[in-house]
Amino acid sequence: MKNTPDWAAYLAQMEQVLALELDDARRAELLTQFSRIATMSAPLMAYPLDDRLEVAGVYQA
Amino acid sequence: MKLAEFSIAQLQNALVCGDLSAREIAQQTLSAIEQHNPALNAWTEITADRMLQEADIIDRQRRDGQPLPPLAAVPYAVKNLFDVAGYSTLAGASLFSDRPAAREDAWAVNKLAQSGALLSGMLNMDAYAYGFTTENSHYGATHNPRDLTRIAGGSSGGSAAAVAAGLVHFSLGTDTNGSIRVPASLCGILGLKPTFGRLSRSGSHPFVASLDHIGPFARSTKDLALVYDALQGRDSTDAFQADQSPQPTLAALSKGQEGLRCGVLGGYFHQWCNEDARAAVATTARALNASDEVTFADAEIARSSAFLISASEGGNHYLPALRATPERFEPLSRERLLAGAMIPAAWYIQAQRFRRHFQQQVLPLFAHFDVLIAPATPCSATTIGQETMHINGVDLPTRASMGMLTQPISFLGLPVTTVPLQTASGLPIGVQLIAAPFKEEMALRAARALEQQGLVMAQAATVSK
Repeated sequence: MKNTPDWAAYLAQMEQVLALELDDARRAELLTQFSRIATMSAPLMAYPLDDRLEVAGVYQA
Repeated sequence: MKLAEFSIAQLQNALVCGDLSAREIAQQTLSAIEQHNPALNAWTEITADRMLQEADIIDRQRRDGQPLPPLAAVPYAVKNLFDVAGYSTLAGASLFSDRPAAREDAWAVNKLAQSGALLSGMLNMDAYAYGFTTENSHYGATHNPRDLTRIAGGSSGGSAAAVAAGLVHFSLGTDTNGSIRVPASLCGILGLKPTFGRLSRSGSHPFVASLDHIGPFARSTKDLALVYDALQGRDSTDAFQADQSPQPTLAALSKGQEGLRCGVLGGYFHQWCNEDARAAVATTARALNASDEVTFADAEIARSSAFLISASEGGNHYLPALRATPERFEPLSRERLLAGAMIPAAWYIQAQRFRRHFQQQVLPLFAHFDVLIAPATPCSATTIGQETMHINGVDLPTRASMGMLTQPISFLGLPVTTVPLQTASGLPIGVQLIAAPFKEEMALRAARALEQQGLVMAQAATVSK
């Protein structure tokens, strides 16, 4: 089983990359919100998409 | 007879006959808003001068014997993310309260003005359109006219409350993941989320370009179709608008249920709602002779993908302001937006590719069905401040989850009419009538058939505090 990514470390890097200045309270809430999104992304990233499938782009229904 | 008891057609008949002038309609509307808005908190701005000027134009046309436009003297209001000339466009955010006034109306507002409708003002919403409850920390919560202790739904909560309270005949909202269908469901009125790309979004404040739609709310199918027809038209400045000519729907409503093939969406849509929502779907299915059940495989992943696209595009949109003025953000959304801005590109691109995959899986179903039926919300309106709702044995966050049954449908861009049914508790709940792309007429005809059978009634609520 793979280890759970260290999202706090990832967010700390992103905080620098995006030139943000957060305090600890905001970092804690950011981690809560990001962890929720990460959980949602897992089944999507595991989904086997056809390698010729393109992005929806400017979507025309 | 109160104005709210008139349909748009009856209102116009009274105008043509001289029983009411446009100015009288405007004055009565403004007076009713002044009386009831303090209990509802639906309007964030009332445009009294403009409304009276628009009314006087209609009265002059009538006196001069000129033909009246299709929405002559019909009172309405718009979600406060639509540009209205002379006013700052708020998008529910105090962040925007001091930005310059819009120089011209949004494309849709201009179209309604040309159609003779009378603008009463702008309406409350979740900040940035990010939420399903219209509990806005800066502008306050909008109260549900059916029960003032409950949420109106969101993000177009003010738009739904204004119509449900009978203060205007229709309103405009936007729907990225359910922001028309959720408040229509919780406030007990009709809402139309047209096909993605059908109506121009020019002059509305964007949230998620890949998913944003605009659309109307009303208390009857005929009123809804009339307004939708007035909003159609080509706007060359909107890059996301589909290359489709207008397809008027009003005349087709008389066909009702004739020849409509309806089915019920099961699986995810049956699982993630309570008994009230299931009963409403069952009643709708019986009335529309929908005996077959179909499922969308991977509906849950579709919802997650819509969530990821929303978080990523919305987060990126607000990143400069999150960096420069974080203290001016809605506290309920600030770190949620920031988290979205930090999503890895691989997740976002996978979501956009899955969108194409999901479309390819679902669209063939419409070879067999004209309308698919699903609940609009997992339950009826929760109380203001209620953090979670108990669905399918799980406590879910209300603000993010009230749209979980609408998200997979808007991800596909399908047109949906939401109709209200009564639950055993007396509160309304909405049912989604979902059609194939650019077949709004089918969803509206199904809604009309339910009205004719007496199952859908969206009378104005009596607001008292």
